[in-house]
Amino acid sequence: MRSWGELQVRPKIYHSETRTMNFYQRRSLWGITFVLPAIIFFIIFAYYPMISAFRLSLTEYNLLSPPKDIGLGNYDYIFHSDRFQKVLVNTFEFVGGYAIPMWILALALAMIFTQEFKGRGLYRTLYFVPIVLSETVISIVWRLLYHPQGAINALIAPFNGGFRIPWLTNSDIAPIAVIVVAIWRVFGYYMIIFITGLQNIPTEYYDAAKVDGGNRWQIFRLITLPLLRPTTVFVVVITLLNGFQSFVYQFLITRGGPNDSTNVLGYLIYEEAFPNLNMGRAAAISMVLFAMLIVLTFIQLYLLRQRYE
Amino acid sequence: MVSQIQELPEHRSSRSVSGISHRQQFTRNIFFHAVLITGAVIICLPLIWMVTSSLKAPNRLFTVPIDWIPWEFRWQNYVEAWNTAPFGRYFFNSLYVSGAATLSNLFFCSLAGFGFAKYNFPGKNIAFLFILATMMIPFHVVIVPMFVLMRDLKWLNSYSALIIPGAMSAFGIFLLRQFIMTLPDELFDAARIDGASEFSIYMRIVLPLSKGPLAALAVFIFLDNWNSLLWPLVVTNKDEWRTLAVGLTQFQTVHGTQYHLMMAASTLVVIPMILVFFLLQRYFIQGIALSGLKG
Repeated sequence: MRSWGELQVRPKIYHSETRTMNFYQRRSLWGITFVLPAIIFFIIFAYYPMISAFRLSLTEYNLLSPPKDIGLGNYDYIFHSDRFQKVLVNTFEFVGGYAIPMWILALALAMIFTQEFKGRGLYRTLYFVPIVLSETVISIVWRLLYHPQGAINALIAPFNGGFRIPWLTNSDIAPIAVIVVAIWRVFGYYMIIFITGLQNIPTEYYDAAKVDGGNRWQIFRLITLPLLRPTTVFVVVITLLNGFQSFVYQFLITRGGPNDSTNVLGYLIYEEAFPNLNMGRAAAISMVLFAMLIVLTFIQLYLLRQRYE
Repeated sequence: MVSQIQELPEHRSSRSVSGISHRQQFTRNIFFHAVLITGAVIICLPLIWMVTSSLKAPNRLFTVPIDWIPWEFRWQNYVEAWNTAPFGRYFFNSLYVSGAATLSNLFFCSLAGFGFAKYNFPGKNIAFLFILATMMIPFHVVIVPMFVLMRDLKWLNSYSALIIPGAMSAFGIFLLRQFIMTLPDELFDAARIDGASEFSIYMRIVLPLSKGPLAALAVFIFLDNWNSLLWPLVVTNKDEWRTLAVGLTQFQTVHGTQYHLMMAASTLVVIPMILVFFLLQRYFIQGIALSGLKG
């Protein structure tokens, strides 16, 4: 019996010795096991499609017949296309009209919300509600609000003699109408981010400034703005990135119209790919969008790096 | 968060320094309320209009002045809308897809976050950067090849296409890694001495301790999937697989002139979201604050 027991124990000891020898290696193996699903996932669903998009952008492809290699044909086409140029300009106009008022509005509201007054929590909750609602529902509702006989024209009728503003059918007004909806939905989100940023500024700075007799504007310009910079950079970059990828509002409110006045890159890519089945051309447009966003990201990295200097 | 707001100088500073008298404070508050009430009205009116219109007769939607209270409450609009399109199915699909994507994200993001935060292996930093960098790839760039991939996998019109491409998020991994890094190593060593396997450390220590960031991530991922339109629109063309967002879009295309039904359908879609929001408000705000740390 005893010898049996010893026999059984010996291999165990031997085994545990190898275990201590490989202790760190075994642990690394666990670490690799934990992150491996993620690595495989991002190869399949991020890197492979990205490379594949570049390859597709060099082909003519309608999903039915195999892709035909046409070199830089798609890029040549889009850069000589008036429509693409118009859409590119529209995209920049949309992003500017969406992002810049958003920064001002969100920061101004955040400054109000960091003061003490009654009903603050209620307002903050209310301002946050549109973010929870889907862009889809919001677009559908606003499309009706903008109807020539819709609620907005009905509301302003007493002030302009009942003139029906063609919100969505006039090429000059429609882009603004779309921007209003886009801002309406998300300003509460950026407001919350600014509130968090403002709260992270140590109170001592303000106290010191007050003792030194700084006025409101000086305090805002010399203390709030510089110390808020990380938050501001974040908000600026995210609004720009989101603005450049806008799709749902253009798709549901105006279908890019009238006369392509609200067509933006995000919508053009969809339109070329899915109703029109110009996969190669859509991929080429998406590469242009990608290049623009990469430039933007590098500017962000540069701005963020400066913070530490 | 709230307590910090109260510490801001304006409020607690002595009058002699700031020079703000009670009267000035009063005017200031009036100004705030005027601004904020205007904002609140702008936020609320479209939503109120949606709800009242959903209860109106079709010919009462575009009246001047607007009937803010319907002449007669047509509850049958809801029944009609519900019966015009398979909203039950859309609703189930949205719930199933968003739920599955959320669970998958919670599991895989925390697992990978744990791996990156607490283990050492060759190439770890490069692998982490490799994953982080995907946050810079805009969805529009991959949509065409992803569609082709889904078609080749025969996943079009399936839950796989709706769920799997969003099963993990680089942001989630980043968030969880940052959080798990702050957990003390002694905790894990103690568990190892007690004979816990690495996976059970993850299950029994990491997961329970990461409840906060996991809740915030869950809210984010769920909302993202629930509201997502472009991807489900592209990979589905049968009612059986459509999510609410796509179903509603389809409804608008097909029954675009039946405005009262469209508003009823929209209200149906929005109500659960508003309920969930008021129940989980804390996590929403937390999630936003966390996403703000990203920069």
